[in-house]
Amino acid sequence: MRTGRRRFVTRKVVFAAVTVFVVVTFNFFLFRVLPGDPAVGGLRDPRLSPERVAALQERFGLNDPVFVNLEGGNLLESQYFAYLGALAHGDLGTSYAFRDQPVSNLLGTALVNTVWLVLPAQVISIVAGVGLGLFAAYRRGTKVDVGALSFSLIMWSLPTFFLGIVLLFIGANWVGLPTAGRVTIGALYDTTWDQLVDIARHLLLPTATLALVLLGEYMLIMRSSVVDVLSEDYILTAKAEGLSTSRIISRHALRNALLPIVTLIALNLGFTVSGAIQVETVFSWPGLGQLTVSAVNQRDFPVLQGAFLLLAISVVLANLVVEIIYSWLDPRVSEA
Amino acid sequence: MSDRPRGFRGFRRHRLGMIGLAMLGIAVVVAFVAPLLAPYDPYANVTITIADIFQPPSGSHLLGTDDGAKDVLSALIYGARVSLIVGFAGAIISMLVGGTMGLIAGYRAGWLGQVLMRITDFFLVIPDLALLIVLVAIVGQSLRNIILAIGLLGWTGTARLVRSQTLSVRERKFVLRAKAMGAGDWYMLRRHVIPQVLPLMLANTVLVVSLAIISESTLAFLGLGDPRLISWGQMLNLGFTRGAVSAGAWWAIIPPGLAIVWVVLSVTLIGTALEDLLNPKLTRHHLEPEEIVATSPSGAQPVEDVLLDVRDLTVAFEGEQGPLIAVENVSFEVGRGRVVGIVGESGCGKTTTVLGALRLLAPGGKIVDGQVLLDGLDLSRMEPDELRRLRWDRVAIVFQGAMNALNPVRTIGSQIVEVIRTHDGDITKDTARARAGDLLEMVGIPRRRVRAHPHELSGGMRQRAMIALALACEPDLIIADEPTTALDVMTQAQILELLEDLQEQLGVSMVVVTHDLGVVNDACDDVVVMYGGRVAEKGPVARVFREPQHPYTRLLLDAFPTIEDPGRPLVSIPGAPPRLSDLPPGCRFAPRCPSAFERCHEELPPLYVTRSGEASCFLLAEPAFAGDEGV
Amino acid sequence: MRRSGIALLIGVVMVLSACTSGESSTTTSEADGAGTTDGGSSAGGTVRIGWGGSPDSLNPGNAVLAEAYTLYELIYDTPIGLDLDGNYVPELASDWSVSDDGLMWTMTIVDNAVFHDGTPLTSEDVKFSLELWRDNEDFPFLPSYPDVFTIEAPDPTTVVLSTEEAIGNFESRMVFMYIVPKHIWEGETDPVAFDNVNMIGTGSFSMLEYRQGEFVRLAANEDYWAGVPNVDEVIFQTIENPDARVTALRNGDVDMITEMPNTAISTLESDSNVEVVIGDPLAPGLSDIFFNMVPEELCPPEDGVCSGHPALRDLQVRTALAHSIDKQQLIDVALLGLGEPGISLVPSGLGDWYNSSLPDYAFDLDAANQILDDAGYLDSDGDGVRECREEQDCDDLTFRINYPNDSDTAPREMELVSGWWSEIGVASTIQPLDPDTLTSVCCPTFDFDVIRWGWGTDPDPGFLLGATLCSEIDSGFSETGYCNDDYDALYDAQAVETDPETRREMIWEMQEILLRDLPYIIPYYDQAVQAYRVDTFTGWMTGASKVALEDPSSLNVVRPAG
Repeated sequence: MRTGRRRFVTRKVVFAAVTVFVVVTFNFFLFRVLPGDPAVGGLRDPRLSPERVAALQERFGLNDPVFVNLEGGNLLESQYFAYLGALAHGDLGTSYAFRDQPVSNLLGTALVNTVWLVLPAQVISIVAGVGLGLFAAYRRGTKVDVGALSFSLIMWSLPTFFLGIVLLFIGANWVGLPTAGRVTIGALYDTTWDQLVDIARHLLLPTATLALVLLGEYMLIMRSSVVDVLSEDYILTAKAEGLSTSRIISRHALRNALLPIVTLIALNLGFTVSGAIQVETVFSWPGLGQLTVSAVNQRDFPVLQGAFLLLAISVVLANLVVEIIYSWLDPRVSEA
Repeated sequence: MSDRPRGFRGFRRHRLGMIGLAMLGIAVVVAFVAPLLAPYDPYANVTITIADIFQPPSGSHLLGTDDGAKDVLSALIYGARVSLIVGFAGAIISMLVGGTMGLIAGYRAGWLGQVLMRITDFFLVIPDLALLIVLVAIVGQSLRNIILAIGLLGWTGTARLVRSQTLSVRERKFVLRAKAMGAGDWYMLRRHVIPQVLPLMLANTVLVVSLAIISESTLAFLGLGDPRLISWGQMLNLGFTRGAVSAGAWWAIIPPGLAIVWVVLSVTLIGTALEDLLNPKLTRHHLEPEEIVATSPSGAQPVEDVLLDVRDLTVAFEGEQGPLIAVENVSFEVGRGRVVGIVGESGCGKTTTVLGALRLLAPGGKIVDGQVLLDGLDLSRMEPDELRRLRWDRVAIVFQGAMNALNPVRTIGSQIVEVIRTHDGDITKDTARARAGDLLEMVGIPRRRVRAHPHELSGGMRQRAMIALALACEPDLIIADEPTTALDVMTQAQILELLEDLQEQLGVSMVVVTHDLGVVNDACDDVVVMYGGRVAEKGPVARVFREPQHPYTRLLLDAFPTIEDPGRPLVSIPGAPPRLSDLPPGCRFAPRCPSAFERCHEELPPLYVTRSGEASCFLLAEPAFAGDEGV
Repeated sequence: MRRSGIALLIGVVMVLSACTSGESSTTTSEADGAGTTDGGSSAGGTVRIGWGGSPDSLNPGNAVLAEAYTLYELIYDTPIGLDLDGNYVPELASDWSVSDDGLMWTMTIVDNAVFHDGTPLTSEDVKFSLELWRDNEDFPFLPSYPDVFTIEAPDPTTVVLSTEEAIGNFESRMVFMYIVPKHIWEGETDPVAFDNVNMIGTGSFSMLEYRQGEFVRLAANEDYWAGVPNVDEVIFQTIENPDARVTALRNGDVDMITEMPNTAISTLESDSNVEVVIGDPLAPGLSDIFFNMVPEELCPPEDGVCSGHPALRDLQVRTALAHSIDKQQLIDVALLGLGEPGISLVPSGLGDWYNSSLPDYAFDLDAANQILDDAGYLDSDGDGVRECREEQDCDDLTFRINYPNDSDTAPREMELVSGWWSEIGVASTIQPLDPDTLTSVCCPTFDFDVIRWGWGTDPDPGFLLGATLCSEIDSGFSETGYCNDDYDALYDAQAVETDPETRREMIWEMQEILLRDLPYIIPYYDQAVQAYRVDTFTGWMTGASKVALEDPSSLNVVRPAG
């Protein structure tokens, strides 16, 4: 069993590594094959003399062959391998818009801010979604259940940004909550409590938006998953064993019912990213999403390329973590 | 199961689905006749001043004006066009691409299928909105590009679904047969695979439509929509960036948002309905609150030396047309240290009887009458907490199919320890663990396997583990529900032998539910023959089997090989047991009974006392037969 | 200083300088008595400003965005400043003069300026900075300003700049010359890659904390040589969404916002805690409509596609089109009235350089129709679109119109314009393009007919007037292909003319030529709008012709209200 587990993890790690490599390559070509070549675009300042443009092209290696060098000499002397080499050193290039800023610096700060927003939202929505889904399933067919189902369907149909705008509208016009940013900048707090309140006031609306949208789906899946599990024979066994309802739920139903949720969390990471992009736009949150959107608006391709790479790799890695957690929750998968 | 593709018949009875269809219909009609409905042309130029913008709803502008002083209602009506076009066109592209990929990957499971699936997996982990933004930013923001980008990104889900469905269709007998007969690939796909896959794909496509609509509006909101078109996302973008929130102009924000919700919800409802029709979901589960029998107890006194006394047990299930009686007036006793077999064909109410006696009925079932006395305690009316304490401690069950009856994600040991500690709060974990090891050894499993998960054991081992679990609390009574059904013949014999040994060793009483007369003959002291939810005959095994009084018992015995008389021809019983919804008015067995006469079809026979026990047959009431036992 | 997209707009005109506080030619009563003589008493508080962007670089050589220049103006001093009315005023150079031959300029540098790290500023720092900007070609904009000078620092308070030819725009070449500390920068081997996070300067504010894309915190410079600001701290918070900025102002989360949508004006005006300030029509984002009129013989040999519509090379056609644009209507619809009709490529914001005497083409569709009839463009097939003349290589007057897709006003403008043009028998197909694609069809490829775009401008008119030179057709700086030898001669003459009045006359004449030949139609000059809270701080500079509340002229003097 242990070796099966180890083999499973190894296989998943290898697959993740291959995926990351494919993502990197895909990312490289996406930004070069499609029309509107960014490498040329960035040098299209008419005030640059032709000599300067040539010099810059040389400096960025834009005169090299794109994929492999077939013109004699070193095969690896190409833009693609230069890109891989730079990536290996954590070098994602320099932003067009923020000229002396390495893309990796911009992404680093933004990533921290995004995690700051997404993590509480995920935790809240998972805990609440699992709890409510469990409750709705346990009280299947009652008003609570119907209410929970309707809520989930409506949440699923709500575009994240729209929910964000509505909350912003209410929060800004009627409650007086801050409409932008992570904290009150430069504020001096008398107590830690004041600081926490300030952070919470800024987090409230964006987190609530993201959490509500995610909550609906988690709840829906959890509910049907729990109903499925509670119909299983081993629940009947547990009941026949005279275990209490709470014990049956906590020790027998929950863990099994969580399996689909864990899968969903993994599949949902991409969805979470898109939620973050929208929420950050609505609430002027200085994270990866906003960086991506403003990079699009400014055609800042190095940043866009880096952000996309970071997002994709985060999702791949998070997927890996989730799969490993899954194999721990359900020993059957590592045998397959 | 029929090989016909499951269709969408019954959609019209699905209330939510019909509501969704109506909502979508309204949106489609609005989009088609937009110029007729809209009070203004939102694409026309108007001369405006600051005073005209963000005007609240009024008679001339029912939903007020937006940042460009244009009529919100008109823009809303025209916006339906863009959302629906993108939604459906995008979904069609997704369906074509995903369907093709899935079909190929599923049908050609070789390297081509592998490669296609890897590609699909790859796209599944790419954050789609981020890729969408990047794509649209690079290729330009026209409606065509947006539709293409959304369509090309939405295919992964469809591909996976179609692939797994194709794989399963491919392995079906009729497909293999057709293939063996030399049918070409294209013919196979067209005649056999696609018709099977299509309904599921359609249900999935409906969900893809809702994703496409949300994607379009999100892109437009981020300023990446087609700038020349009015869409709901675009309206929200303009409202949001050009002052609607600060102006308090909810009318420029709420209507387009609700319009998106309207369409997406409608499509989601339709999709949910289609999925429900294709994969009917379980709707009941084991933890639903049970109803306790309402009638007053008969007040019968416990009988000495009887451990379990089931009296007139009647169990009903909820049916579409009212309650269905599954078990009726069943009475039997289990003496201390005795083994009782309950036997009959499938669907005769054997399992329902024992589960009903322990109030472990499947959801929707309940005891409507009768008593179940365990050592004089009436289980049927006991408080749930009291009953819970008594379960397993006094009565344990060996379920059929231990694979499903044991929790697959927990070790055997932990499940045994859990039940020991539940019923004996004083016992320490270590003692319980040691005891779990002893139990496993007792049933012939090496004790180190306490750490094994159920799927790591063979079928026979699992059943042994199940028996070990049943012994955990040293119960007075073990109910074995078809304990050997799922096993091969050799293992069956071993398990049976184990049960017999344990019974003798521990002196525990047992009820064995089985359709195997051999098991009854070998292992049981008494037998209860059930048919149609009623007791047909009961009595000591030796006598009942030697002198069966009920035609059903007789026919059952005829259908079963015996070692004593291996040359005897086996005769199967024609017909099948009655369905609960369609019980015959008289004797349940009358329709199949070779000896049935008029009365049998009109009245329910009572139990008559016979030489070998009791039997429920009017033949026993006829004087002509009463003394004629040698027939 | 590429064509302005929203983001790549260098609002250089917005970048007006720190004329030393209190001494600005203020005409407002609010700024009255706002001198900073009580420096050091820090009852100041924190001014919070909401803006839409974030500085693109803290290195003054690298920046393109207006937000960066706003920071430089607060943190650095320049030799010569520019006040809010567009006049050059002394800053680090308390005085400057030119030799009689016009080839040598001498600046006297103040002796009490101190860098934020305590080091006194001397003429060596000025010389070092000017040479730094001049010699690093990889800086996008600054090198072109001091490129003609040889610089000497004979004593600590004197800087001498020599040129080979006389120049007519010395002051404008000094207003962006941020003086950085030599002792910090001289150690940098690659100044272009220097991120300059500490931003040590001599300005009225010093860098406290910076978070890319999030905020900038500045502290008042307690040792500022020209008077200490009244407030303790200034915070610029990035709020990308314009409406969220407006809401933040109304809720009191910020005290002032630098940009806002015109659609929010009435909301803010109705808020008693907020004052909206609408500036004169200056031109941070000069908008223009231009024609592809490159002659075949001048088509750039390497890059040129030169697919322009032949009829657009006909002045009569361009004149008719000019008569068919109702500029006031454009202003009303697209800018909600906040602008004034434009006329010259040199915007009115450049003060005297703007030729205020030019008569515009009247909006007169009948006259336009008459011009086209007379010129021989007739709708002979009756489809509503006039046919080309026989000798021209085209069918009818159908023009392609392009505009950048990041402009929020262009779509409505071009719909209006194409409507008017259709009334004179001119058809058009409108296609928005992203700025990169637009650049690639524009110049020097000349693969377009009509483009609606815009410029960021320079305080000196010489920059923009260079875009219509024959010699710039191949470089791509010329986007029209306009070529006129008389105009080119005037351009060369004004560049070396040291007498301001004579130079002004030349510049005026060039504007007249451009208006007559119509490579450009300037639809309007728009007005900047800003807003601030009246209950938190007072003393904002609101009376000048330019609104720039984030400028040192305001931030050096605002003080807590009440």
